[in-house]
Amino acid sequence: MSAGPYNYSYIFKYIIIGDMGVGKSCLLHQFTEKKFMSDCPHTIGVEFGTRIIEVAGQKIKLQIWDTAGQERFRAVTRSYYRGAAGALMVYDITRRSTYNHLSSWLTDTRNLTNPSTVIFLIGNKCDLEGQRDVTYEEAKQFADENGLMFVEASAKTGQNVEEAFLETARKIYQSIQDGRLDLNAAESGVQHKPSQPGRNTLSNDQQFNKDNCAC
Amino acid sequence: MRELPEKENVLSKRLNKLLETRVENDHDTLEALKELSTFYCDNSLQARRNLRSQIEKRSLQINENFLSEFREVKESFDSIYNDIADMSKSLEDMTLRLQNAKRQTKHLLEQTSSYENEIAKNEMQQKVATAFLNKFILTHEELVALHGNKQKRDLVITPEIFVVLDKVQRIHNDCKTLMQSGYQTLALDVMEQMTLHQEGALERLYHWTQNHCRNVENLTDLLTQAMCRLQDRPVLFKYVIDEYCISRRAVLVGEFIDALTRGGPSGNPAPIEMRAHDPHVYVTDILVWLNKAIPIENQNLHLLVSLCNKEDKYELLTNAMASICEGICHPLKIRIDKILNASTQSSSLYAITNLIRYYKKSIGKVSEGGLLALTLSELQEKSEQIFLIALQQQVSNCLVRVETPPRDLSPTPAINHLLSVMRDMLSTASMSEGRETDMGKIVQCVLDPLLRAVNEQSSRLPPTDMAVYMLNCMYAMQTCLSLYEFMDDKLERLQAQSDAQLDTLTSEQASSLVANLNLGPIYTILQDHAHAPLSGIPGMEPGNLRNFLSKLDMLVSLPDSMLLQQIHLLSSSKHKKSVQKRAFDVLLAIYKQLYEGVYDANNLYENPASILPRTPSELMKMLS
Ligand SMILES: Nc1nc2c(ncn2[C@@H]2O[C@H](COP(=O)(O)OP(=O)(O)O)[C@@H](O)[C@H]2O)c(=O)[nH]1
Ligand SMILES: [Mg+2]
Repeated sequence: MSAGPYNYSYIFKYIIIGDMGVGKSCLLHQFTEKKFMSDCPHTIGVEFGTRIIEVAGQKIKLQIWDTAGQERFRAVTRSYYRGAAGALMVYDITRRSTYNHLSSWLTDTRNLTNPSTVIFLIGNKCDLEGQRDVTYEEAKQFADENGLMFVEASAKTGQNVEEAFLETARKIYQSIQDGRLDLNAAESGVQHKPSQPGRNTLSNDQQFNKDNCAC
Repeated sequence: MRELPEKENVLSKRLNKLLETRVENDHDTLEALKELSTFYCDNSLQARRNLRSQIEKRSLQINENFLSEFREVKESFDSIYNDIADMSKSLEDMTLRLQNAKRQTKHLLEQTSSYENEIAKNEMQQKVATAFLNKFILTHEELVALHGNKQKRDLVITPEIFVVLDKVQRIHNDCKTLMQSGYQTLALDVMEQMTLHQEGALERLYHWTQNHCRNVENLTDLLTQAMCRLQDRPVLFKYVIDEYCISRRAVLVGEFIDALTRGGPSGNPAPIEMRAHDPHVYVTDILVWLNKAIPIENQNLHLLVSLCNKEDKYELLTNAMASICEGICHPLKIRIDKILNASTQSSSLYAITNLIRYYKKSIGKVSEGGLLALTLSELQEKSEQIFLIALQQQVSNCLVRVETPPRDLSPTPAINHLLSVMRDMLSTASMSEGRETDMGKIVQCVLDPLLRAVNEQSSRLPPTDMAVYMLNCMYAMQTCLSLYEFMDDKLERLQAQSDAQLDTLTSEQASSLVANLNLGPIYTILQDHAHAPLSGIPGMEPGNLRNFLSKLDMLVSLPDSMLLQQIHLLSSSKHKKSVQKRAFDVLLAIYKQLYEGVYDANNLYENPASILPRTPSELMKMLS
């Protein structure tokens, strides 16, 4: 990794999940490049993006994994849940099916991530109001019921994109301040820079895959 | 003697006197006697009686003679008198005339002196005129130097022309002084004349220069001076430069084509096109040739205007060089285009790109702007584009088939091949001019598709294999990229991706370890047990624990034995150690919990030391 002096104090790891075509890659691109990429190729496995933001006067580097929504890459993308401090769960407000699959995505996320992982629900493509298939209220209710943060956003216009990423970061930062998030845990998805050189100090809970565990 | 009376006395006295008189001493008497002797010849009475009369007669005769003589004298005097009177008259006349003449002479003198003054003045004027002529009018020789010999119509220029031109200029300048001194008409005349001379001479110089400018190497002195003179006539100057450029342009193109198709004299060096089959050598030769020829052109051009000090000299030279180089653009473009379109090898295209870049910069130092710079820029851009397209093509050709990872989970041949392609290319790029951009583009061209391919390949593998395969691929990529600068972003991504896989692998390994040691149920009981003593819970009996311990002993004696088989396939020993250590850490944490439980009196184990003789730290040492 970068050998130069770190100009940020933390690294937060994010993962973006949701059905194929909901606009995950576009959201990431909009956030990192401030541009809409209309002809975005299908994501193969995972893509990666970074951006340095500021929360409460602290520089924080976001390392964001954009995952492929396709089922065949599920095994590949699973690896990236584990270390995520934030999960952006995206559906497409013009396609109800993508909304309907949220509970399955949520289950996956809960199983594979830390309890402290901040999950943020994004209803994307809110610029396509005319084709709306999922009401704001309905999704808002779903979010509230599951304790998720929620906005409707548009990767195309950029509306609420920053907010979603930054709000997630603020929530994670809050958890660190409250001590709810153990920085030393490998799966916290947060690294302290530069004092914390690596991730060798591990807390042992959840260190092995519960699925494989004979219990 | 008788004495006589008085009378006698007188007589005696007289006689005495007579006697006393010494006749011989009396000159007069002697003369008279002498005279008398001439005519008194006979002393006779007669004669004595007649003497008197004779004397008288003689006296008369003498008087008569005298008279007649005198008359003659008188007459002479009269004549003299007349003469003198005449003379006087003529003198008077003369005086009159003299006076006249005198009067006339005065006038004459006045005239003379006025003439003399005039002469002096004229002499002065003549001097001035000569000086003027020397100073303001050109000699015949000078005119010849300026305008050449009209009869011979010879076009040869001698260095004198510059001396005379200087003089003409000086005269022209002096005319200003002349003008200030009041000779305006004259000054203007001379000035006009000088201007005509100057124009004429410059015109002649211009024709000559235009005809000879291409020989600047041989006619350096005359040409550079001529150019220096002509620089004050921007139009003529520009014409000469244009002429020069046109002729040099043609020569340069000719030489270029010759170098390409004919080679040097008697084929040495060989024509460049002989090696057209090797794109790299071919393009190198072409560009090297240009890089040698163009500076020479530049040198000669600089030589031509070396004495000029025009303000816009730099711009002029720039434009002239651009103009000289215009001709070679087309043949150059055709040839390089052909090479670019024919070559498919990305590495050779990249080498060509770098060649063009290097020589574009090198040539640009000598000839900036113009068609050549534009052509080279276009060629550079085109070659960059074609290179990247070729590279993309090469990558996608390599990855078109999704390979199944080999059994040893090492990167597939295609992945390895592309990595080595990338490494070679980065090695070259890291030494090139715009290396940061280049390296970024190359890596983007290769690495992104490579990562996608690895994801695609991995998606078909079981989780543990997938993690190991990915780690091996990431490791290979990291190893490759870490050799170069500007790779931080990519390395960060690879590191993050590796970290995720290491987490997965650690989790797999820990699970397997726990399962192999039969630690699963124990761990669950330890997590969940309430207040009941542990020793009473089924599965936590000392006997059962010993079963775990014997397996643990096996692990301690052979720490590798319980590693997942795939862990051994990790190419990075660091990865392997990390997974192993982190898996052991999980084990140690559980052991520690168990140890504390067993040694806790509340759990009612008898003789805990016989059940768990090793402290957690002892176990840690053994496992590390
Ligand atoms: N109108 C609109 N189109 C979007 C928006 N976000 C993404 N898209 C389009 O939706 C398609 C899928 O986007 P992509 O980011 O590839 O989805 P992913 O599969 O979730 O990564 C693309 O054609 C995008 O142009 C949005 O906010 N508004
Ligand atoms: Mg995508």
